[in-house]
Amino acid sequence: MAPNEALKAQIIREFEAERRVTLLRLRLQQALVLVGFSALIAACFHVSGFFGGSQGSDPWGRIANLLDIMIPDLKAGVIFEDRATKGSLASWFYDMPTWLSLLWETVQIAIVATLFGIFGGFWASLLASKNLSPSPIIHWLTRRTLEVIRTLPDLIVALILVAAFGVGPLPGVIAIALGTMASLGKLYSEANEAADMRPVEAVRAVGGSWWAQVRFGVLPQVLPHYASYGLLRLEINVGAAAALGVVGAGGIGIELSRAITYTEFDTYFALLILIIGLIILIDLVSEAVRHRLIGLESPA
Amino acid sequence: MTRVASLTVPPLIAAQEMEAARQIAPHLIDTPFAVQLRRFVLWVGLSALFIALCIGVDMTPAAFARGLTKLADFMRGMFPPNAAGGEVRILQALAATFAMAVTGTFLGVLGALPLGLLGAKTFVANPVLHFLIRRSFDVFRAIPALVWALILIVAFGLGPFGGVIALALTDIPRLGKLYAEAIENSDPRPQEGIRATGGQRRAAIRFGLLPEVLPVMASQSLYMLESNFRNAAILGIVGAGGIGFELEERIRIFAFDQVAWIVIAYVLCVMALDYVSEKIRSKLVHG
Amino acid sequence: MLELKSVTKRFGQTKAVQDVSLQIPAGSMVGIIGRSGAGKSTLLRLINRLCDNHEGTISWHGQPVSELRGKALSQWRATCGMVFQQFNLSPRLDVLTNVLIGSLARQRGVAPMLKLFPAEERARAILELHALGMSHTALQRCSTLSGGQQQRVAIARTLMQLPEIILADEPIASLDPANAQTVMETLSTINRERNITVLVNLHALDIARRFCPRIIGMADGQIVFDGTPDDLNASVVDAIYGRHVIEGSGPQAEAQNLLEAVA
Ligand SMILES: Nc1ncnc2c1ncn2[C@@H]1O[C@H](COP(=O)(O)OP(=O)(O)OP(=O)(O)O)[C@@H](O)[C@H]1O
Ligand SMILES: [Mg+2]
Repeated sequence: MAPNEALKAQIIREFEAERRVTLLRLRLQQALVLVGFSALIAACFHVSGFFGGSQGSDPWGRIANLLDIMIPDLKAGVIFEDRATKGSLASWFYDMPTWLSLLWETVQIAIVATLFGIFGGFWASLLASKNLSPSPIIHWLTRRTLEVIRTLPDLIVALILVAAFGVGPLPGVIAIALGTMASLGKLYSEANEAADMRPVEAVRAVGGSWWAQVRFGVLPQVLPHYASYGLLRLEINVGAAAALGVVGAGGIGIELSRAITYTEFDTYFALLILIIGLIILIDLVSEAVRHRLIGLESPA
Repeated sequence: MTRVASLTVPPLIAAQEMEAARQIAPHLIDTPFAVQLRRFVLWVGLSALFIALCIGVDMTPAAFARGLTKLADFMRGMFPPNAAGGEVRILQALAATFAMAVTGTFLGVLGALPLGLLGAKTFVANPVLHFLIRRSFDVFRAIPALVWALILIVAFGLGPFGGVIALALTDIPRLGKLYAEAIENSDPRPQEGIRATGGQRRAAIRFGLLPEVLPVMASQSLYMLESNFRNAAILGIVGAGGIGFELEERIRIFAFDQVAWIVIAYVLCVMALDYVSEKIRSKLVHG
Repeated sequence: MLELKSVTKRFGQTKAVQDVSLQIPAGSMVGIIGRSGAGKSTLLRLINRLCDNHEGTISWHGQPVSELRGKALSQWRATCGMVFQQFNLSPRLDVLTNVLIGSLARQRGVAPMLKLFPAEERARAILELHALGMSHTALQRCSTLSGGQQQRVAIARTLMQLPEIILADEPIASLDPANAQTVMETLSTINRERNITVLVNLHALDIARRFCPRIIGMADGQIVFDGTPDDLNASVVDAIYGRHVIEGSGPQAEAQNLLEAVA
């Protein structure tokens, strides 16, 4: 019995030793990753001057101060008085007609840019999906081009375009449309690649052209996806269009930057409320439309 | 019977065949005038609406042509790209932008963790509260970082601090929503198993929920980092420094060869980050 | 006459069709049998030019079709209609539009892309649907039809091409026996009344025997049998299907017996 027991004990000991080594290696790896990660974060915090005082002293006091100057002093007694009365709602939102028309311009920019983006994204997706692309080279080139466009933020593009097209909504539309095209081009090509190829083959077998194969084989399958992706993108684009004016590319953003330059922080707050309201509105409309689309989908 | 290529002529259908088809389904052969009119009006109306929208945003061929000639000039000015001795400065600015993105994302993650839990149906069961929390995520999600940055930079002065806070504020609702969804979509069985063996709720979260959602949440946070690198570049325009500032400065003086250099360096950096992040993400998700 | 001379098709290392030579007179009805992977589908796809052969020639009435390009190719494809096992309809389009797809090779311009087809084409589509008993479903979505109905719509689409040949790739493999019977009878009628050449891939031997005056057996990409149903004796069947399949057993045969009980 004794030698057997000894053997058992040795096996257990060896196992324990091995376990300890593996565990140690794992722990070491984890520690290394943790240290590296913390070092990265610390370095980044340092470079951003987070604790280095770039924010000045007393950040909390500054936030409190900011909130204080942003909130208008409305007076309960005169709240529904006209614009001239200090402390009324109307004097807070003192330039409502201009703002509403700028909001409408923002929506227009978003809609037109989304439409063109959908259109461009559709064509790009045909070239960029493996199963439809006329040639592998075109497929590869289109993919890479879309990728490069996606790396460029729309505001940077808008900045360059404003220099070319002048101040106004047009450069904003082009910038957002480009970004929309690039991201929808990718999403649409994924939808195309997931499409059932059997109907496409049937159209080919009938003698239909490439156009006919796309029109009757692919499109009927992917159109609902296209529509819901497009609507989701519209919601994003309304937000993006609201910021464009800061670089002179049209929409409500121009008032945002004007309010900052004239240090009208309560106006900034008012504009923020309007933008949020607009976004909620677009959200609701788009959601209703999407639900209707899905409703049309479900078997009648 | 030799007509391999004889289908060029449309097949004429005999008059009595046409009649027979009319008998079977008249509405499918002759479109009633009213329907044709309705279609026509619909098309004309939609086209008019579209054109009106285009004109509303100056999208006219004339304006387009004018801008395009200028843009072509710019493009010509971009070649060959040239840093004009500012390579080190530009790379430093890129690093600063990256640092801003990382810091902003980190703070965003910290802020989004509790909010993500609150937004998950599994934690806040009250439907009204759940609806309100998730809706507010949706609303704040759509506010661009630039809108936050404008005001925060006024509060904190020029420099990256305001930008970092703006990025964090943009991230919190986006990540909060993603986290909440990840938590809701997690498999409830491991947690139920732990509860069933007598574990506390805390234990269920630690050993049932976390192992499942942490990789997903980490991958979403990395995704947010990618998006923040782009956003951080924008914030330079309004005074947060970094690459956006360098870029704007050179656009203002029409130094497009330097703009091209910066844009190329920036695009390469973004692609590199996307590549690395994609690698890490696939490792996280697939173990 | 459809003529194949030493046609070979490879997919990487596998030779899907190997040195096949065939003569099929116009107006005949031919069944092609063989086990899975024998190359039946590939043969039909080669004829329709859905894929290209590596060696040999395919010709119709003396005109080679393997070299056709562009418009001539699409006209050749229109000349030989294809019927698929999975019907290959566009599920979200209505029946009428699916049938009208068959006329695409002779349409010009953008009008068909907007689903605007000439009245004559619509009339023809309705007549074809009516002949197959499907005209009442003209405005229904294809996805709402049963399998047998879908296959009939697919046949209407093929007829819409005004084909001279119909290539049917296991048209009844996803149908129940009663629907299978209807579809086979339809193909047979089309062959007799319109004098359209029909080549049909079949899994069920008994169906091939019943509907096809000429049967071709394939194994490993080669033709191992070509003759009448009477020539198809047990040893030939062994050669086609391998040693272990005995005619009159297995699920196919059971379905067949059921079919005969129904008929
Ligand atoms: N697109 C393809 N790529 C690669 N190999 C293929 C392809 N199509 C067919 N093959 C191969 O060619 C051979 C013949 O296939 P085919 O589809 O013609 O057989 P089949 O007789 O129709 O079989 P089944 O009765 O299962 O439909 C098989 O080995 C198959 O794997
Ligand atoms: Mg097959």
